[in-house]
Amino acid sequence: MSKVSKEVKVMSAQEAVERFVFDGAIIGIGGQNVSRCAVALAHEIIKQGKKDLTLTGCNLSIHMDLMVGAGLVKKCESGLGGQGKFGATFQFKRAIEEKRMEAEDYDHLTMVSRFLAGEMGIPFIPVRGLMGSDILNYQAASTKKKFEIINDPWNQGEKVLLVPAMEPDVTIVHVQKADEIGNVLIQGIASHEPELIRASKTTIVSCEEIISTQFFRSNSDYTTVPYHYIDAVVEQRFGAYPTATYGYYSFDADHINYYQQCSRAGGEEYKKYLDEYVYGCETFDDFIEKCGGVKKLNHLQREMVRLM
Amino acid sequence: MEKQYSDNYTREELMAIEASRFIKSTDTVILGTGLPMVAAIFAQKTHARGINFVVESGSIDPILPSVPFTVADPIIGYRAIKTGSLREVLGCLVQRGLVDIGFLGGAEIDQFGNINSTCIGDPQNPKVRFPGSGGANCIASCVPKILIITQHEKRRFPAKVQFITSPGYIDGPDGRKKAGLKVTKPEIIVVTDLCVMDIDASTGRLKVTKLMPGITVDQVYQNTRFRPAVSEHMGVVEPPTEDEVRILREEVDPKRVYLKDCPKTPR
Repeated sequence: MSKVSKEVKVMSAQEAVERFVFDGAIIGIGGQNVSRCAVALAHEIIKQGKKDLTLTGCNLSIHMDLMVGAGLVKKCESGLGGQGKFGATFQFKRAIEEKRMEAEDYDHLTMVSRFLAGEMGIPFIPVRGLMGSDILNYQAASTKKKFEIINDPWNQGEKVLLVPAMEPDVTIVHVQKADEIGNVLIQGIASHEPELIRASKTTIVSCEEIISTQFFRSNSDYTTVPYHYIDAVVEQRFGAYPTATYGYYSFDADHINYYQQCSRAGGEEYKKYLDEYVYGCETFDDFIEKCGGVKKLNHLQREMVRLM
Repeated sequence: MEKQYSDNYTREELMAIEASRFIKSTDTVILGTGLPMVAAIFAQKTHARGINFVVESGSIDPILPSVPFTVADPIIGYRAIKTGSLREVLGCLVQRGLVDIGFLGGAEIDQFGNINSTCIGDPQNPKVRFPGSGGANCIASCVPKILIITQHEKRRFPAKVQFITSPGYIDGPDGRKKAGLKVTKPEIIVVTDLCVMDIDASTGRLKVTKLMPGITVDQVYQNTRFRPAVSEHMGVVEPPTEDEVRILREEVDPKRVYLKDCPKTPR
């Protein structure tokens, strides 16, 4: 029997992380930069202290940096770690420079291609990039085989680069809408998430709102990913805060800047951030409340309305 | 009518405007963040209205009212023809060969146009770690025309980058072909605050083609750790008109997300 289930999968973030995230897991992370990072689920992983994690995705940003800063990550395998205009992901940067964490570099298209191979159940996939770059010349000590270059069997004299499929143990994503059984609707840019979700052995999705299955049955072209790939649905308003969720709220530049300040300073100042904003908040709703609550969020919602 | 050149512009502004001049109305351009974003949106608002943007995070042909913060800023999907996925943009457009121009940046750029955005020091043991490739490697590998905007500092222009994140001509005119890249002779144009350089495909090396107003070749040499060839028809970068500066400040980057040095627009 396959693992596909049409059961109701709604549960709390705490239960979802307890059930599906384990020490040593390869965790796929959705979101990109200031958009739809699965911050609520990352907070929960940190609170539960799941460790020796490998984080994988394309643009790993604040949610990655939080887990690295909490000392839970042994390796990042991705296209990039950074926060664009807001600067470096300083915990990531420092953990690599101080050799507390391994980094396995690819580029974005290679990562998404690896997820594409994973989601289609094939072992590897060709890409046109990476050749001639040093990304091929260096790999993490723990990596078995990063790539292979072969002669194109159909075009004599041409080289083809193959990269292995990536199937994370568990993926965390934050989306706009999902139903109780795990049908998912992503609005706005989808980044690498459709491939990532389908490639993962299990997926926890947090969402702004739970909608009816009837919605998907009446608007089936809106289904970004059907329930087959989803194992837990966590209802969490503002679950990507301080990053944005398209259609719902913009990112909070003030909080991101504050986080960056703490992350850049490191040491006690960073520990204080984690204590106050992660460990010190029993639920993610408490965190939202601490960051300005309804008033702040109304403001970010209005900013989003202006964008639409 | 004679052009009214502005005498009130910053070096950053002229870099963005000069870079925008390499974009045509018929081009499909993949956007990156920073000054390239300013240059591309400026082009769309002036001489290249037909330009079509794609953004790595999945936005296809948005109409950007002003510069976004990042490639994943929710504004990036504004009035887009399609908000799709990273695979659709980097895979089905860039890798597929349907994008004409890519903008790249990095910590180091060398004489072959190779870019380093990964690290300084031994890559197994980096002294300084940068963000990494992102979409850049794929763009450098697959797009036939690459534009780079950067400050001209000695440390940014070594003879050889410490890590090739995104390949230029790698080690010479046939470097890309030997490596197996399909686009073997891309145009690579580097716009700095001192000059404009492009790759001479016959040598695989950067060559200075234009100087910024008031800058000498010696100043370029002094700020570069290799000795670039110099064009026999050396030009000077045309200054912006008053109108161009106004559009840049008031319409393209009114919040001064990227144009840090120029005066704020009164509101």
